[in-house]
Amino acid sequence: MAGDRPARFSYRGRSVRADPGETVLGAIARRGVPVVARSNRYRRPRGPFCGVGQCTGCLVRVNGVPGTRACRHVPLEGDRVEDERGWPSARFDLLGAIDLLFPGGFDSLRGLRRPAFLTPVYQWGVRRLLGVGALPEAAPPARPPVTVIAPKVVVVGGGRSGRAVAQALRTEGLRPLVLERALGPLALEGADGRPATSATFLPRPAGGRFTMLGFTEPDRGVALRTRAVVIATGSYDAGLLFGGNDRPGVLTAEGALSLVGPGRRPPFRRAVVVGGGGRVRDVLDRCGDAVAAVVAPSEIRPEVVRRASELDVPLYPRSLVLRAAGRSGVRRLYLRTRRRGPTFSLACDAVVLAHRRLPHTQLFFQAGARLDWSDARGAYFPVVDDAGATTVPGLYAIGSVAGDAAPGVRPEDLAHALAARRPVGPPRTAASGPVAEIVGYYRELLGERRRGRWMACPCEDVLLREIEEAVAAGYRGVEVTKRYTGLGTGLCQGRYCVPDALLVLSLLEGRPPPAVGYITQRPPVHPMPLASLAELDGALPSEAEA
Amino acid sequence: MTLPRSSYRAVVVGGGIIGLYTAYDLARAGAGPILVLERGFLSSGASGRNGGGVRQQWETRGTIRLARESVEAYRRFGRDFGYNLWFRQSGYLFLAESEVELARLRTVHDVVTAEGLPARLLDAGGVAELVPGLAPGAAIGGSYLASDGVLYPFPAVWGVYEAARSLGVDVALGVEALGLRVEGTRVTGLVTSEGAVATTTVVNAAGGWSGEFSRRAGLEVPNVATRHEILATESLKPFLDPMVVRASDGLYFSQTMRGEIVGGRTVGHAPGVGPGVPSSPGFLTGMARALTGLLPRLGSVRVLRAWSGYYDDTPDGFPVIGEDPRLPGFVHANGFGGHGFMLAPAAGRRVARAVLGEPTELDPAVFGPGRFLVARRDAPAERLGLG
Ligand SMILES: Cc1cc2nc3c(=O)[nH]c(=O)nc-3n(C[C@H](O)[C@H](O)[C@H](O)COP(=O)(O)OP(=O)(O)OC[C@H]3O[C@@H](n4cnc5c(N)ncnc54)[C@H](O)[C@@H]3O)c2cc1C
Repeated sequence: MAGDRPARFSYRGRSVRADPGETVLGAIARRGVPVVARSNRYRRPRGPFCGVGQCTGCLVRVNGVPGTRACRHVPLEGDRVEDERGWPSARFDLLGAIDLLFPGGFDSLRGLRRPAFLTPVYQWGVRRLLGVGALPEAAPPARPPVTVIAPKVVVVGGGRSGRAVAQALRTEGLRPLVLERALGPLALEGADGRPATSATFLPRPAGGRFTMLGFTEPDRGVALRTRAVVIATGSYDAGLLFGGNDRPGVLTAEGALSLVGPGRRPPFRRAVVVGGGGRVRDVLDRCGDAVAAVVAPSEIRPEVVRRASELDVPLYPRSLVLRAAGRSGVRRLYLRTRRRGPTFSLACDAVVLAHRRLPHTQLFFQAGARLDWSDARGAYFPVVDDAGATTVPGLYAIGSVAGDAAPGVRPEDLAHALAARRPVGPPRTAASGPVAEIVGYYRELLGERRRGRWMACPCEDVLLREIEEAVAAGYRGVEVTKRYTGLGTGLCQGRYCVPDALLVLSLLEGRPPPAVGYITQRPPVHPMPLASLAELDGALPSEAEA
Repeated sequence: MTLPRSSYRAVVVGGGIIGLYTAYDLARAGAGPILVLERGFLSSGASGRNGGGVRQQWETRGTIRLARESVEAYRRFGRDFGYNLWFRQSGYLFLAESEVELARLRTVHDVVTAEGLPARLLDAGGVAELVPGLAPGAAIGGSYLASDGVLYPFPAVWGVYEAARSLGVDVALGVEALGLRVEGTRVTGLVTSEGAVATTTVVNAAGGWSGEFSRRAGLEVPNVATRHEILATESLKPFLDPMVVRASDGLYFSQTMRGEIVGGRTVGHAPGVGPGVPSSPGFLTGMARALTGLLPRLGSVRVLRAWSGYYDDTPDGFPVIGEDPRLPGFVHANGFGGHGFMLAPAAGRRVARAVLGEPTELDPAVFGPGRFLVARRDAPAERLGLG
């Protein structure tokens, strides 16, 4: 079993040691934020960003398997870890010159059309540039067949809310199965748990039954049939648009905290933390001595001010983040005080994004549950009743994914309603309040002069400028923008680009975000190996029987 | 939104690639004011969901000619329309798993080569050379034409849309065609969600919804919408050049410019309704099994996303192009199944000619709307399955 004891793996000609349970990324990020990968179009250096296996920042090849997320692979002794892209390495990539050769960006829609006789040459080159990992050297070994699991209730997410609801369901005499994406053991009482397991596809139920697909890391397929699903997937730290927002060293709070641990220093010494709320506190609490400043898009909450002053960390409320400068890392962050205030800059070696959390709502979209736009949060949330029941019978939401109307859905109420098969009640009124601060922030930001690359979609290297051009050319709505620019078609499935693109499009198109639309949440919501899907074939009843 | 005019020379229902090309060609011919109605967003139909495969290997000469003409148009697209389709001509390879299929491919091969296209029949070794990592025994032979290829469909939609508009075509997005106005036996207008317009010609280019629209107009047609699903993996370095199609069931896959393996197949006949098209677990698991069966080394490669769309299928698998003999002024441009994109440039021209009353040079027994009205003749040749 991986992770019981230390392991040595090879990486760039060295032998690297990982502590028990430590991931490849953890082991290579001990002395600083590493450049692990190269971006899609411009070959820009990329490093860890999300920390939870959702972005393209740390893709490596492990034992010949491409697309392995270094942040989710706990190495075994002797593992062979290699760069996917980069010549000679991801760290020093001669092709990185492309980034300098195309300062205005590269127009894949209209570019390289002429002369026509060079078409095959262009295509040859571009194809080699864009491809990520080489075809695996071998087929994965054959495995024993899987069987469909049919628990009474499935809880997706084993965080605080997921565990609490599992406990409450137990009290109602139901034994739930809890799926948790995080690696490492999952402590549950009276419930079955599957750690390292991602739910990837939850179609609309048929005949009152849900079919759910997923997989356990690295590639074991999981198929479930059940009558009730509780989604407690929580939320994640959002991205932010600014120049050089894709540089290694720009991390989400989750990404940064995943690299901090007991007896483990963060891979930075002077981070600028962006945000003014509770998430900034988490960062200050866990690596406060490595924080150089806190910069907030708007106000800073008193408890953060208190904590920062204890740590002697300077605060810059009401600031626009304009640009992270550096080459293969961040050296300086350029800012401007809101409302046309002065520009200033801060020396730093990392930028930690802790300004906004977004719910993991993909499965609700897939299952056909109604979601409503919340102006106050600038995001979509499932419509739920007092017990967390969504508009799809049998599908429930709890925790931060269910919105932030206080008081939150109580686990006992949910468990009781679920056990009693209580019909869905009237919807809770959503949290109301002023329009999310981030809207005003972007309105002001879009008027700023831009330097550096503003990556609207870091997975696919789509620039903010390309989105503006699409709008200027008369294309409207996020679905069309996605098809026009490629925004949201990368590995993160739109998690780090679409929420902000919605706000930007709403401003550019001059209509509210719900009118801009939303992109279909295509399965699988976490990329899933073909072998783990293939081994589920035949195990599920055919659609006709469902 | 109100419509820009109250009267048009022709109204095209459906703003997919077929409707847009038709409108573009009508405008180029100076036909007069043209309106395109699209009830969703641009590219919301099959034209924004397909695999971009373009082939000329067909079993009838008429289709081969349409396909060849379209290949030429797509090669020139960058010059004519200003968008790069990344049309990569690296071949279509049909795989035969049995002697029966090989014989079928041979029949098609004869028609294709008689038309002057240098298609080649391959043995198992020749196939293996074109598809690195192909499982042993996956094919006993195949047929290959190097000038077939794959393109990105979206820029084609943008290019033709912009060109049509710059020629004065009105494209009304988010506007639905609700029904026809008929006086006597002739079309006189169309009712839309934004009011009525007068016109003597309505083109039904509604893709998967064309059957529904014809029926709304009171015409019985055999078109059925069939759900077709497709998936894309994470990006790999280029290793596969041709589009590969399994002749037995039409399952296909290719590697895009970005490196993704994109592949799909038709999952039974699930007649579709409505604009939303969901994916199904059965497709994902079945396609994954088939794909890893053909290319076992793909096993640890991850599926990035799956989606689906509607084929507009006809009983004989050929499209319907031309005026409906039962209702003068009602012109069909539908029934393209899984091949509308690869035929669109040439098909659009023929539809425009049909609207203008010029000869289309299409065999009515293969393409004409009247062919379903006469007693069924034998199918011309067995069709090559392709998703
Ligand atoms: C998954 C998939 C893969 C495919 N792969 C290929 C391939 O590799 N190669 C290939 O050549 N073809 C392929 N096809 C087929 C190809 O995409 C279609 O044949 C082609 O796009 C059809 O174009 P269209 O304009 O007729 O239809 P569509 O693009 O579907 O356009 C029809 C439009 O009409 C609109 N509409 C419908 N009813 C109304 C109404 N009443 N009023 C107003 N608007 C209306 C719809 O909203 C729609 O946008 C594939 C299709 C799918 C689904």
